[in-house]
Amino acid sequence: MPQADLVRTGIAGLDEILPGGIPRGNVILVEGTIGAGKTTLGVEFVYRGASQFDEPGIIVLFEVSPHKLFRDALGFGWDLEKLEKQDRLKIVFTTRDVLRQELQQADSVLLGEASKIGARRIFIDGVARLVGGNGTPETRSAFHVLTEGLQRENLTAVLAVEASFNDGNVNGTFAEESIADTVIRLKMEDTQRAISRSIEVVKSRGQDFQMGRHTFRIVDGQGVQVYRRVQAPRKASRDRAAAFDPDTRVPTGIPGLDELLNGGYFLGSTTVVAGISGVGKSVMALQYLSESARRGERGLMLSLDEQVPQILRNAASIGIQLEELIKNGLVHVEYEPPQEIEVDVHFHHIERLVHEFKPKRVVIDSLSTYGSTLGTGGRIFRDFFHALVALMKEEQIAAVYNHENPEMLGMASMMGEFALSSLVDNIILMNWVELGDAFRLGLTIAKMRANPVDRVTHECEIVNGQGLRVLPRTLPAAKRPFSSYAGLVSRAPTRRPREREEGVSADGDRME
Amino acid sequence: MNDTSRRNKKDLQRLLACIPVITGPCELDLLVFFYRHPRSILTNEQLAALVGYDTKQIAHAIEAFIGAGLLERTQTSMHAARMYVLVPEGPQLGGFKTLLDLASTRQGRHDTLELLTPGRAGPPSEINAKRRLRVVA
Repeated sequence: MPQADLVRTGIAGLDEILPGGIPRGNVILVEGTIGAGKTTLGVEFVYRGASQFDEPGIIVLFEVSPHKLFRDALGFGWDLEKLEKQDRLKIVFTTRDVLRQELQQADSVLLGEASKIGARRIFIDGVARLVGGNGTPETRSAFHVLTEGLQRENLTAVLAVEASFNDGNVNGTFAEESIADTVIRLKMEDTQRAISRSIEVVKSRGQDFQMGRHTFRIVDGQGVQVYRRVQAPRKASRDRAAAFDPDTRVPTGIPGLDELLNGGYFLGSTTVVAGISGVGKSVMALQYLSESARRGERGLMLSLDEQVPQILRNAASIGIQLEELIKNGLVHVEYEPPQEIEVDVHFHHIERLVHEFKPKRVVIDSLSTYGSTLGTGGRIFRDFFHALVALMKEEQIAAVYNHENPEMLGMASMMGEFALSSLVDNIILMNWVELGDAFRLGLTIAKMRANPVDRVTHECEIVNGQGLRVLPRTLPAAKRPFSSYAGLVSRAPTRRPREREEGVSADGDRME
Repeated sequence: MNDTSRRNKKDLQRLLACIPVITGPCELDLLVFFYRHPRSILTNEQLAALVGYDTKQIAHAIEAFIGAGLLERTQTSMHAARMYVLVPEGPQLGGFKTLLDLASTRQGRHDTLELLTPGRAGPPSEINAKRRLRVVA
């Protein structure tokens, strides 16, 4: 099968949805409401062609003055005037009637101009009212005339058409949709007072494409940025990545914990550390990153809860000079405010960070903040987490996700409403245990795939300037050890009979 | 009239003298249109409607611009619409941007029109144009 001659749009992310570009000569209809970004997309298509792919282009305007277009394009860093002076771009102002007559003429002035500069691309802004929107035979015929004229010159054309949408569907019948080779829909969606933009390829003759609504943004100084929806399939290697290295361990750097984890987490594993706020999850995370740096391996922390200066201060309080590790390029800490996270954009950002920084360990603080931002009821959160796990596995990263469990004492369920346990390899529960008049810190390894695990609750402590450590099962007599109690996570621990207390009798008896 | 206004008016006089093809409001507005739409395909009637003058005035102004080397027009007799291309480095256009800037305010436009048609008595006549040139000289 001959390889298709594809025109790369050059628009960031769009050529991934339309794998490699759009078949040359296609007539592409870009539909959208006012302000949806049709003109920006069309102008960028021509600009990228002329400036990056040696494909000169024509822009046809009916209402916008070319002067304003020059000004607005400069805001994205596109110097259209320069391209015009270099004869790689021509901007033509006309009326719809004239354009229709023009494209019917064998000696069309417009197509003659296109031919003079060897144009391969054309953008016509505002086609809707050229042919009407009622789908009558006349409108079909008018659009046919237009597309025939463009195809005669083998131009790949983007035609912007104004459309209104109702519940995701176009209002009215557009003859253009059936005649055009590619139909792209741009929408502005209202989500809880925030507006997000989406792009959907409805059809594209001569190629496969990634269906569904993807997010896009119009970014100052850059132009259109398309972010594949988080659920869209990635490369096949990502799905095969679960067959990770079964031997290499990633030690946590927390005294006493690695012994309980048989040496550490597996490469490519997913670990959730669950516990109420203040129980020490972030401390564990910082020690995990510090251990990574100590071994000369890169570690990445993505925080939605605390900003970077605060994280640096927290680290200093347990003796970790995180700023130095960051300067040395061993640790990267990124804070992203959780308000109005656009999940496709956010996932794209994480993917880029992972591919560029190449960490061996990643800490995400926290899953619960994602839950409150994205909502745990629908599929988005679960799909996002699934994509995140797949990415980390593909890159063989030992990822730790902090999860705030709302229960102060004990835990009725490990992941609560998140229902993600099946995607997680290891679960560490951290919770307060009230003994006498004191809260003491307990740590339980509740799940560790492909590992023997004792599910014993161990006492921990956080020491100023040192961090978290897991205490031995036997303690000096002054402090009664956890092994003296039963039901530590039940909210009502009880003292064991004296002969079964490890700290008192030396038989090392376990709780099971 | 304050000092700034007087200075601007003097500048306008000087600039208008450099662009003798602007003899009245129609020429000024049409040149502004071509400056903002440097490559356009339109009929004379559409141009007249867009700029707001009658087709005779428009046709006259276009011929003047072409004669002065400011504008190029495709010669395709088959079409009612013609392509007009402003010659960016054309003679007289050097000061045109400055003239536009000065004339872009309400007062500036008023002053420009005043210079082109003293007394604002309708479309420019030959007498007015000559008078203006005498003033500038």
